Amino acid sequence: MTDLIEVRGLEKSFGDHHVLRGVDFSAESGTVTALLGPSGSGKTTVLRSMNVLEMPDAGVVRIGEASIDFATRPDRRAVKALRARSGMVFQAHNLFPHKTVLGNLIEGPVQVQGRPTDEAVADARSLLEQVGLAGREDAYPAQLSGGQQQRVGIARALALRPEVLLLDEPTSALDPELVGEVLAVIRDLAAENWTLVIVTHEVRFARDVADQVLFLDEGVVAERGGPEVLTDPREERTQRFLARVLEAG
Amino acid sequence: MRPRLIVLLALLGALLAVGGPAVADADGEPQVVRVGTEGVYPPFTYRDPDTNELTGFDVEVMRAIGDEAGWDLRFVEAPFDSLFPALDSDRIDVIANQVTITGEREARYLFSTPYTYSHGVIVTAKDTDDITSLDDLKGRTTAQTASSNWAQVAKDAGAKVQYVQDFGPGVELVVQGRVDAIVNDNIAVLDYLATSGNDQVKIAGDAGDEVLEQALTFRQSDPDLQQEADDAIATLTEDGTLAEISEKYFGADVTVQGGAEDVDVDASDSRTTWEVVKDTAWPMFVGLVKGNIPLTICSFVIGMVLAIAAALARLSSLRVLGWIARAYVSVIRGTPLLVQLFIVFYGLPQIGIDLDPYPAAIAALSLNVGGYAAEVVRAAILSVPRGQQEAATVIGMDYWQSMRRIVLPQAARIAVPPLGNTLLSLIKDTALASLVLVPELFREAQVTAAATTEYLPLYTMAALYFWVVCYLVSLAQGPLERRLSRYAT
Repeated sequence: MTDLIEVRGLEKSFGDHHVLRGVDFSAESGTVTALLGPSGSGKTTVLRSMNVLEMPDAGVVRIGEASIDFATRPDRRAVKALRARSGMVFQAHNLFPHKTVLGNLIEGPVQVQGRPTDEAVADARSLLEQVGLAGREDAYPAQLSGGQQQRVGIARALALRPEVLLLDEPTSALDPELVGEVLAVIRDLAAENWTLVIVTHEVRFARDVADQVLFLDEGVVAERGGPEVLTDPREERTQRFLARVLEAG
Repeated sequence: MRPRLIVLLALLGALLAVGGPAVADADGEPQVVRVGTEGVYPPFTYRDPDTNELTGFDVEVMRAIGDEAGWDLRFVEAPFDSLFPALDSDRIDVIANQVTITGEREARYLFSTPYTYSHGVIVTAKDTDDITSLDDLKGRTTAQTASSNWAQVAKDAGAKVQYVQDFGPGVELVVQGRVDAIVNDNIAVLDYLATSGNDQVKIAGDAGDEVLEQALTFRQSDPDLQQEADDAIATLTEDGTLAEISEKYFGADVTVQGGAEDVDVDASDSRTTWEVVKDTAWPMFVGLVKGNIPLTICSFVIGMVLAIAAALARLSSLRVLGWIARAYVSVIRGTPLLVQLFIVFYGLPQIGIDLDPYPAAIAALSLNVGGYAAEVVRAAILSVPRGQQEAATVIGMDYWQSMRRIVLPQAARIAVPPLGNTLLSLIKDTALASLVLVPELFREAQVTAAATTEYLPLYTMAALYFWVVCYLVSLAQGPLERRLSRYAT
């Protein structure tokens, strides 16, 4: 079976700061890949390169049929095609505050994908049910709790029917008591065989749901493997990181 | 959004269609001749207080000449200082406004046979006793209209000249003691004293003993019009028509030399202040509805389009666009609106861009609004978090889609209160449009004020009209703000 996701030789600098120094990984369809690592290690940049929110300096990103080699500056159409393969969940949810929950969910399907409104609405309602927010269609984001907002964020990403869901620290901005409800939704998605790439600090969660764990440090994958990486790391820097995170958690 | 815009543009188009240039007489059609006149200089050119029709000595003489010459006259009312630029830029074909023939003017324009002979007098406050001749004006201040020959006479006498829009306000300055004197022609002054009943000023002496001749003014490129006018004046002098018109206004024949000495005018307006105010209320309202309000709506819509364009250009990664937008905003904010209006209306025709009054006023006001609103819109766009643009991008929107559907609606909420101020300023700024020949509310007030000297009540009423409109607009702002922020808790 060929991999759904392939990332090769990803390089990125912000000015003098060399953030990514050749990151490689691949992931099969229906698997969960967790990116962990200390802050500044480049894990969020990897994720944002996968939908070209950041333009990598070099490397290849492929999702399904859509592929970009960043050796040359990609044209707009290629970027659009790659982006269409994934949905993204932001740390700060970035819901559209001037639109209702339902409005947030159908914006992409109707305005971008051109799907009929009633079909998009029906889809949106079942997604809201899935994330446990049935009945909140007409609420504005500001009327929801942080955990509810993030669950709408997940539903909005899913509404585009992407092949891959990219999650950028989806629980980092939440109050501790709200983290559980969001992780539960993500756990369900994993159980339903969604292909997820998730940047997270939740080590226990990653250990539970991840099929593949990538530990990034200073712009390279320092250690990779199955979830056992998180219980029994070989690399010293992974050990140090885990010790620190688990202690804090 | 779009259908509404189209309606507005159609409205604009309809406005542009108003007014047209002089047409040559091809198939025996009477030749259209556009006549520039102040309309605020009784008894020569003013609106009849009862009928609001343009009338006066110059106007009637002009009509008689037009009848005789077979012209189809179109009167255009504008402040005296705007008449010469309007003639130069081919917006009018002749000035009928007691224009005195001077050497300087003869070098630039063609004059008809004179139809008025007068001489200059000096007007001072009643209790001023140290000014009796031109010599006494040295070092003193006089109030004159800028392009009047009397301004030059006063300057030559060594006076400092304070410029005013027309004679009436100048007299007010004398009464208030803000200037010492006015130099003007005897007929105008005698008439003013009789009509206004103003006993605060007096004729203090003659301004030299030169006889001055007033005539119709044409462009040098129109000798045919001048010739036709001269022929008509000769006929009208012969058959006594001019003398008759003069007798009616002045009780003397000022159309011949020396006639002005016998000028004897009656007080013509006996209405009370209240009646004047009552009679002017409707013309002012019409000016508001036909002038200020459409100007405001069109200029605001176009201005907002310009503002958004300029704001996006400044935020663009293309540096050239940013510089252009920055220069535009800087020029608009760094120059007076009045100057912008004059450049558009009187300046641009000299390089071939010839706009009619309405479009010219809308162009200048729109550019002005655009310049001011651009910074407001830019700040509002910047206040929308970056993540919003990113979220729009990852659901597949392109730049314009994300601007239109995600960023601008949120920016609107931030921008509405300051843009409300911009709109209020615009409403008030439309009062300047009369200077580029657009009839509007304040112009109506000025016209009646000139004929009746009821400055305070009429200008106060104009202020009241503007205030009411601004108040209504500010009432609408609250609900709009609430509507735009209904999503925020």
